[in-house]
Amino acid sequence: MKFPPSRFWLALLMVPGFAAAAPKEAGLEERHRALLKENCQNCHGPEKQKGKFRVDNLPPIIRSVEDAERWQKVLNAMNSAEMPPEEEKQPDPSKKADFLEDLAQVMVTARRTLGDQKGVIALRRLNRREYRNTLRALLGVEIDVSELPSDTGGPAFDTVGAALFLTGNQVEQYDALAREALEQAFNLQSTANLQKKLRCEAEAIQPVFLKKSREAWETWKRATKWIQAVDQAAAKPENAQIVAGLRETAKTDDKLRYSWHKIPGAPSPVDFGFEQQAAVNPAIIYVIRDSTDFMSYDDYYVGLLGRDTGSYLTIFHSNLGSGGTGVTSEIRLSIPKDFPPGDYVFRVRVGATADAPAERRFFEFGLHGFFGGSSVLSTHHVSASMDEPEVVEIPYTVTRKNQELGHRHLYIREKGAGNTQGFVAQKIQEARNRLAPGPEVALWIDWVELERKNPAELPPGMRALGIPIDPKTPEVGREELRAALDRFIEEAYRGVKAPEGMIDRLLGIYESRKALGASHRESLNETLASVLSSPRFLYRAEPAENGKHRALDGLELATRLSYFLWAKPPDPELRALGVSGKLFDPGVLEAQTNRLLDHPDAVYFIRPFLTQWLTLDRLDLFQFSQSLYPKFDAAVKAAARQEVYETFGTLLRQNGPLNALLKADYVVVNALLAQYYGIKGVNGDAFRKVAVPAESPRGGLLGMAAIMAMGSNGERTNPVERGAWVLRKMLNEPPPPAPANVPEITRLAGKLLTTRDRIKAHQEEPQCASCHRKIDPIGFGLENFDATGQWRTKETYQAVDAAGKPDPKARKTWTIETASVFHKGPAFKDYFEMREIIAQKREGFARGFSSALVEYALGRPCGFSDEALLENIVRLAREKDFGTRTFIHALIRSKEFQTK
Amino acid sequence: MNRPLSRRHFLRTSTALIALPALESLGFRRFAAAAAPVSRPKRMIFLGFGWGVTHESWYPALDQKGADYTLPVALEPLARHKADFSIVQGLWNKYNGNGHYGSTFWLTGANEFGEPGQSFHNTISVDQVAADHLGKDARFESLILDCGAAANGSGHGQGLSLSWDSRGKPMAGPKNPLEAFHRLFAKDTTPLAQQKAMLAQRRSILDNALENARELQRSLGKTDNDKLDEYFQGIRDIEARLSQDEKWLGVPQPEPPMEEPAPGLAGYEEIKLMYDIMVAALQTDSTRVLTYRQPVSTLLTSLGVRIDSHTMSHYHGKGPEYLEASIKRDQAQCELLAGLLDKLKATREPDGSTLFDHTTVAYGSNIRTGHSLDNAPTLLAGRGAGIQPRAQPRRPQRHPALQRLAYPAPRLGSPSRAPRRQHRRHPRPSGLGGGERDKR
Repeated sequence: MKFPPSRFWLALLMVPGFAAAAPKEAGLEERHRALLKENCQNCHGPEKQKGKFRVDNLPPIIRSVEDAERWQKVLNAMNSAEMPPEEEKQPDPSKKADFLEDLAQVMVTARRTLGDQKGVIALRRLNRREYRNTLRALLGVEIDVSELPSDTGGPAFDTVGAALFLTGNQVEQYDALAREALEQAFNLQSTANLQKKLRCEAEAIQPVFLKKSREAWETWKRATKWIQAVDQAAAKPENAQIVAGLRETAKTDDKLRYSWHKIPGAPSPVDFGFEQQAAVNPAIIYVIRDSTDFMSYDDYYVGLLGRDTGSYLTIFHSNLGSGGTGVTSEIRLSIPKDFPPGDYVFRVRVGATADAPAERRFFEFGLHGFFGGSSVLSTHHVSASMDEPEVVEIPYTVTRKNQELGHRHLYIREKGAGNTQGFVAQKIQEARNRLAPGPEVALWIDWVELERKNPAELPPGMRALGIPIDPKTPEVGREELRAALDRFIEEAYRGVKAPEGMIDRLLGIYESRKALGASHRESLNETLASVLSSPRFLYRAEPAENGKHRALDGLELATRLSYFLWAKPPDPELRALGVSGKLFDPGVLEAQTNRLLDHPDAVYFIRPFLTQWLTLDRLDLFQFSQSLYPKFDAAVKAAARQEVYETFGTLLRQNGPLNALLKADYVVVNALLAQYYGIKGVNGDAFRKVAVPAESPRGGLLGMAAIMAMGSNGERTNPVERGAWVLRKMLNEPPPPAPANVPEITRLAGKLLTTRDRIKAHQEEPQCASCHRKIDPIGFGLENFDATGQWRTKETYQAVDAAGKPDPKARKTWTIETASVFHKGPAFKDYFEMREIIAQKREGFARGFSSALVEYALGRPCGFSDEALLENIVRLAREKDFGTRTFIHALIRSKEFQTK
Repeated sequence: MNRPLSRRHFLRTSTALIALPALESLGFRRFAAAAAPVSRPKRMIFLGFGWGVTHESWYPALDQKGADYTLPVALEPLARHKADFSIVQGLWNKYNGNGHYGSTFWLTGANEFGEPGQSFHNTISVDQVAADHLGKDARFESLILDCGAAANGSGHGQGLSLSWDSRGKPMAGPKNPLEAFHRLFAKDTTPLAQQKAMLAQRRSILDNALENARELQRSLGKTDNDKLDEYFQGIRDIEARLSQDEKWLGVPQPEPPMEEPAPGLAGYEEIKLMYDIMVAALQTDSTRVLTYRQPVSTLLTSLGVRIDSHTMSHYHGKGPEYLEASIKRDQAQCELLAGLLDKLKATREPDGSTLFDHTTVAYGSNIRTGHSLDNAPTLLAGRGAGIQPRAQPRRPQRHPALQRLAYPAPRLGSPSRAPRRQHRRHPRPSGLGGGERDKR
């Protein structure tokens, strides 16, 4: 094992390390003993030991799992109202609430103390996203890893080694994925210089439109002609008696025609080109006769100028009849079969019509799925006019899946055009209201195109391999192969050489596979796949003697740094600095950290870190009701989530103060989100800083739609969830986990109450009050944000049944009351005052953030033994006005980051 | 192709075509009673449903003793099976204190905090103990089924399925009906000689993997090696599977007694199909122990309920639609279970008995309702364990009842017959459904 030539971190020993921190003790304050003595000891004391349980000799400090279990029993029994028994004397409610609050906190401390890994980092497997990134960095291909366990969803970050399990199933999946990745990498190499480009002129669909339109007319005419013919037959005097008989049950003409076959001379619908079905059920024909909206809408479309050089996008719904404009709602491009997988760019030349309203200047780019569903991949703003269209570029990665039938059709359509029940229905209704033939078109497309971005160079893994993989290659010499494997392994193992004997074994695998009749390429694939499913690749090993801390070597430091900030292996520059040991120079280390943070790949840190730290995955737990919140559609939701990343990313790039997340006088938005927030003058898809006035509720996490939306259930706000989130994430005073077996409050079931009144019931029971008195007031202070983060002053509750049907009698509207008081803290009269109080808590916020950062970066829980480390990070950051980047520099400079 | 090897016996029964591989001719011991009056193998099914039940309408009243009790609303879809299942009340997984973990410790009874210096700890699950006993002679020692991504919103808690291996690590298996179907019935049409050669090749790849791991192992400290041990175990699991494959080499996969499921189903239809596959697996004697971690979030969506599943589980004190959604969930789940029991009863064994006669179904969660973990919902069905069907009276809390399911005890309540041998084989035997022994 190589050690760094110079150990700069030794200089940092002045900073207290993990050994210096005094362990925090988990013990209940003495004052609470009185409650136990008074209310429990009679049955659970020296005299009587009901259930063989005593409270008088409970250990004052929890030092073992057994101690913890005894105290946990006390907490459980009191939370579940099992103890004291109903018929016995009950403690004073406020004392009980205090007791439970403190005991719950003690248990949290105890669990953390007992679970403290004391700085030991368990061997880290590459988590799912690191694995994907690592394969891409090595082989230059994008692999679908969705079959692997996500590694998220537990209480820990997905970087924590102890929580990253591995099963036999997974090993087999790794093997299969490696083979797939290698196959693609081989293909990529053989097609590296193949240039591909396809442009589809949008006007090409105009003839299809016209044909469809004509057909719709034609069908309508056939329908009316058949009706006429039947009516004529029915009007004949010789049929009068038959018709009179039929009239007895068929009161209207439409009903009469159901019996057309009983009227002599009446023709069958089949004679008019309809299916047999229509002959049995003429309602099919009536629907066609009655759907005449398409005629005027088609006429309107035909009259538009510019159809010779492009196409307008319509928003289409079957309510408009099946006219020609169904065709023009999308411009498609089918990926040709001979376009190899790899990176592409999709371009759209687009402009908005002169009177396109702001909300309709967006288009969606997506892929039609095989099972009917079409996934929207991204949404884009159109700022150009039709006269001077712009070219919007969208990066797209073609994978092997795209070559399957049903995964080849890329499309663009107006944003919301797929939301037939919400947006489309609304636009059609609006058009009807102003007597327009249909929604006016807003976007004009000149063309769409797909062009391959040829790889500039071979990916590192293939470059290292450096032997032909062409299927025609008959023989590669054994020594040549040995050298190739040696180079490939070093690259795959992130700079670590192949251990002795490994290459011989691999050559054995290669040769026995060939002996089974496989080609060179197949055999090589299998051989390399076994490198990519070996533990040296799947785990980030930092060998060390038992239980001993040691300094990382340069290569290990480079790897840690790279996985921290890029979630992938170090690039050649970083690796070289690691190997030479120059990376230990604080100046070099800082420069490299800055380089990594300035690189676009820093999103591989920003996204997963923020998603997990701020629990943004809650946004995907539920559907947002499109009938209640038509504006909060999938595109806005995606942009709202992006706002969180972009805001943090901006702070990180500019080393802005972390506390800008508590409150700021700006937001970081793009055109779509600016429109959602009612901010004018923002164009394009790029997120940028936009100033907001002081009286705006926006600016900082609390004003973000994503943060407020995840504190809801998609229909209504959830003040408890929001309050607990603020305590956890912003104030760094996390409430203990929701206790089990607290009796539910059910007496309010089915009653029409304001949200606040319903939640106030928490104060009735000490078991609930012990936590909720801290949580709920903050939730109340945020009630001006609805379930999708829009500002409101009134709220309505409309009771519905499980199928979503509203009950008109069960409805209540009230003015939202946000004034409240922090538990044992200041009062506030509204959201703005509350935000001001929270914005003062910069220290707590900085500590909470640092602790999350430590866990994420070091891959182990941040324990009490990390107190000194946290102290140090926060101190260094404070000296630089809590500059966001300063936290990261401080952590990377720490002994903990540079020690195994 | 060697004819005798691919020969199969077909036994036509009243309802199904059962194919039995002629194992004796291969030198294996007779594992299934094709003709001889040997008792049929015991089977076990464990079904976990995460977010508990509607407390008010799921549990039978306790004052009605015996089998003649009134069936609560939520259980009504099970009415036709009333004489054949029990609701066991008063169970509480002693150490579980996490109101969002319906399944993590359901079959293990472990203490999450039981290992100092670790923030999470679990032990072997009861199905794996059972598989050790019952599963050896089947093609798959156990079949572990899961619902993939839907598990996250379904109240199951940590884990990859209901099953945990002997070291308390999560186990994984097929995550949708199609995957499960392929696992069971995928045809390998490669000639036998080549299959053998491929197995040998797979072996040498595994040997290489083990060698790579050993090389790394030598340089690591204890904590890291504990982690790397998962890799070794993973390889050993694959090896065990290969050996199993080898034993069955040349024995054609059984004919699936059902159609290949359509891909992409979610919720109600997905669970229904999974149940069909479970019956098919038992019918073809492909496995004898099954676990299935069912989806709840997608079940609600498929029932047209728009409330998210976590909020639904906290229906108390909310609008009537929440309670309604919760009951709807219970009824749908019971309807599905009733369908499974129908199938088990309708599927004949070669000796004329039914699958139901030899199968034990345990159906439940650690969560009762909301965050409440006491009186964990537990339904037992099937005659495999000889349980007397009725609404069982309340037993003392914290009673380790599920443990008995792993052993063919004559009835619940008789002294545990957990053999001592077991305790030696598994380092932490106390994790059998009943909670660990106190370490005092």
